[in-house]
Amino acid sequence: MKIRLNDLLEGAKEATITAWHVDERGRVSKDQDMVEVATDKATFDVPSPCDGVVAKIFKREGETVKTDEAIAEITDDRKQKTEDR
Amino acid sequence: MTGDRCQVSGVGRGVEMLDLGVIDYAEAFRVQEDILKKRINGQAPDTLIVLEHHPVVTRGRLSDDNDVLDREYFADKGIPVIRTGRGGKITYHAPGQLVLYPIVDLSEKKKDVSFYIDFLEKTVAGTLRGMGVAAGRNVRRRGVWAGGRKIAFIGIALKKWVTYHGVAVNIGNDLEPFGKIDPCGEGDIEATSVEEMLGRKIDMSMARKAFARRFAEDLRKEYGTYEDKAE
Repeated sequence: MKIRLNDLLEGAKEATITAWHVDERGRVSKDQDMVEVATDKATFDVPSPCDGVVAKIFKREGETVKTDEAIAEITDDRKQKTEDR
Repeated sequence: MTGDRCQVSGVGRGVEMLDLGVIDYAEAFRVQEDILKKRINGQAPDTLIVLEHHPVVTRGRLSDDNDVLDREYFADKGIPVIRTGRGGKITYHAPGQLVLYPIVDLSEKKKDVSFYIDFLEKTVAGTLRGMGVAAGRNVRRRGVWAGGRKIAFIGIALKKWVTYHGVAVNIGNDLEPFGKIDPCGEGDIEATSVEEMLGRKIDMSMARKAFARRFAEDLRKEYGTYEDKAE
């Protein structure tokens, strides 16, 4: 599952990655804060939408991203379990 | 915790107002953090903190060193320049400027940061118009504007979908320091105030009540639909 910011920022076009709270290949829980981002007027933490593993981080701290760009990818535990069956 | 508490309800779910008077930035931030933690844990209601800060320049998460245009000016006056965790770039606070720090749980309303900033701008502009100031929003620039100048400055943060930091409205404060910074990092901004726009003195206690009442009403209007759906 790719993580994008546009669900949280319907009216904004871009944001800056200010701090990652997780590492690649690290486990995350649903609603765990993954990354702090800043727009021109707001800072906030983006929560993980599911339990899983951070498969890839696409954007590093200091990078400005468009809100429809993927910033990370999570392998969803539930989906993985279903595929393993 | 110090400060006068009162309810500004009567419009559906109540919002508690906490008036901290004139207070240092760091002390006010500790109060914000305390209420933020309680709100996240469901131990406090939506709360609107109102206050005035002692003179201070605050830099947001995206501010850089170039945002302070005249360091000597602030050093000579003993005005601290401090970094904060809020969004936005740089602004100035002082007595006579009304600061609103809403601690509001958006998770039970609408999870959209831009929608919340729109809401803040609309409620501040609406209150200012009620005071007789021709204030409004600018589609290209955040904040609230009057006569082509900026009258209210926004910088927020969220944890677990609970808001903190907020908006500062120039009521009768000294405007000169805004010329010594690059307000909001936008290069060509001039600041104004309610007193400058109206040409008369404004009672701060009246302003506090007007902003708090309108905030509670607008919170219900703007978010009521979403809140009702969640029930």
